[in-house]
Amino acid sequence: MLTVRNLNSGYGKLQILYNLDLEVPAKGITVVVGPNGAGKTTLLSSIMGTANVFSGEVLFEDEPITGQQTHLLARKGISYVPQMGNVFAELSVMDNLHMAGYLMSKSEARLKAEQMTEMFPVLKKFIHRKAGTLSGGERRMLAVAMGLMKNPKLMLLDELSTDLAPIIAEKVLLEVIRLRDELGITILIVEQMAKRALEIGDTAYLLVSGGVKYAGKASELLHEPELCNLYLGIKQLPKQQDNTRIPSSEGRG
Amino acid sequence: MAPWLANGLIYASALALTAGGITLLYITTRTFNFAHASMATVGFYVVYSFIIFIGGSPYRYFPFAFLFGALLGVICYYGLNRPLLKRQASEITLMMSTLGYDLILLSLIQMYCDFLTSNYKLFPRRVNMNMYDLELFGINAATIILPLMAIICLSALHLFLGKTKFGVAMKATIENPVLAGASGINSDRVYMVAWLIGGGMASLGGAAMAMAQTGTPVMGMNSIPFMFAGAILGGLHSLYGGILGGFMVGLAEYAGVFLLSQKFGPWILGYRMGIPLLLMAITLLIFPRGLAGIPWADLFGRLTGKKRGVQA
Repeated sequence: MLTVRNLNSGYGKLQILYNLDLEVPAKGITVVVGPNGAGKTTLLSSIMGTANVFSGEVLFEDEPITGQQTHLLARKGISYVPQMGNVFAELSVMDNLHMAGYLMSKSEARLKAEQMTEMFPVLKKFIHRKAGTLSGGERRMLAVAMGLMKNPKLMLLDELSTDLAPIIAEKVLLEVIRLRDELGITILIVEQMAKRALEIGDTAYLLVSGGVKYAGKASELLHEPELCNLYLGIKQLPKQQDNTRIPSSEGRG
Repeated sequence: MAPWLANGLIYASALALTAGGITLLYITTRTFNFAHASMATVGFYVVYSFIIFIGGSPYRYFPFAFLFGALLGVICYYGLNRPLLKRQASEITLMMSTLGYDLILLSLIQMYCDFLTSNYKLFPRRVNMNMYDLELFGINAATIILPLMAIICLSALHLFLGKTKFGVAMKATIENPVLAGASGINSDRVYMVAWLIGGGMASLGGAAMAMAQTGTPVMGMNSIPFMFAGAILGGLHSLYGGILGGFMVGLAEYAGVFLLSQKFGPWILGYRMGIPLLLMAITLLIFPRGLAGIPWADLFGRLTGKKRGVQA
């Protein structure tokens, strides 16, 4: 569905991604994990046309979209939930949702907004408040709701679970699974809760220093103790190895 | 009504419109528009030309001034501002480019004045628009109509930004262009409309300004510092702050100076142009983020005895 070929990009003169290749299969969850500064967010910015692409190309449904204006990508059905600045702080929660439904008809946007407030009741409570007055977790919920509003073909989610209480983060991740299973939406998710994201993901990419270190099945990356330990801080598996002397990868595989 | 108050109100309304336009262009396209100077002058010459060639009251031609200014704004956006924004030009480059546009407009105005003089034996370089004004309730109509017009224009702008889908989209783009783009809002169109409204407000303000002072080809050039003073006094990031700032600067220049000269003697009049700038400097020293940065809710809360948290 989305293909990134030999991408070199960054901001201004600063290059961050080097010869990056990535393939997001349709109707699946693709997880991009990696340490800070690996270029995960830059990857999403390059896809959305807000970073500078020096060379390489991005294809969406086999059509080149490299460096296209962001609003045209939104029209094509790509929904993007940025990590920072993902709500309009000066607008009310209601206006935020309506802006997310900018491309829909008025009645459709209203209907979708209602669905969103049902999914996140806390938004209903603050519907007329400025989004800037919400707490971090409430803001993130609003951002996710805005991303879901758009009925997208492809969703790019950046650090979805940051700021959320664990219980809500879990709810949001389950919602992501539901999106894939029930609505058939393709999802590219950049996640800091690497372990949980890899558990729900189908395909995984490990990004390190602007390049791909691992590409393959998400469940298999979880069973690469060295990569997990070195880059993702997942220590659970090696510990189990010590206790049982049987590599857990075999047990689970 | 005393002439200082009458002229002060007209001039303040004109500055509110122009400073509002400057702020609008800055918060949308990061551009300090120096061409506001000659755009304002153009507004005056549009009204002047209609009066000379068709006749009647100046006010019926004010909408044409707005339209002409809007056209100049859109030309500036597509010809100059948009290509530079696409190349991610710095704020300095954007600003200097509008200075160039201003010089072109100024030259065109001068050529037009020469054209009027040589072909129609007119003297458009010093025009007293007051002589075309009507009388209303025993005073110049401008004193009533122009502040009213400014209020109506700015209320319309407020409704447009607050209630219409495109207006809200404009506010959204001002705050967060990336997220607005990801929502499907075409920032290109938002910026074009900003130039359309900003340019229109500049020319409308210029047409209004000529009712309070002698209209000359450099009228806008002379008052551009005060347009910017108004926008800066407003804090540059709030449209309403800019409008209020423009109004205060305009009133300070006429009314403030007059009142001060009554108290301290006529030598103050020589510093007429300095007073509004001094007001701006003092306000910014106390409230560095301008009028829009003043915690109004907090102040009112204290006045009414209610306790409120400090506004962020």
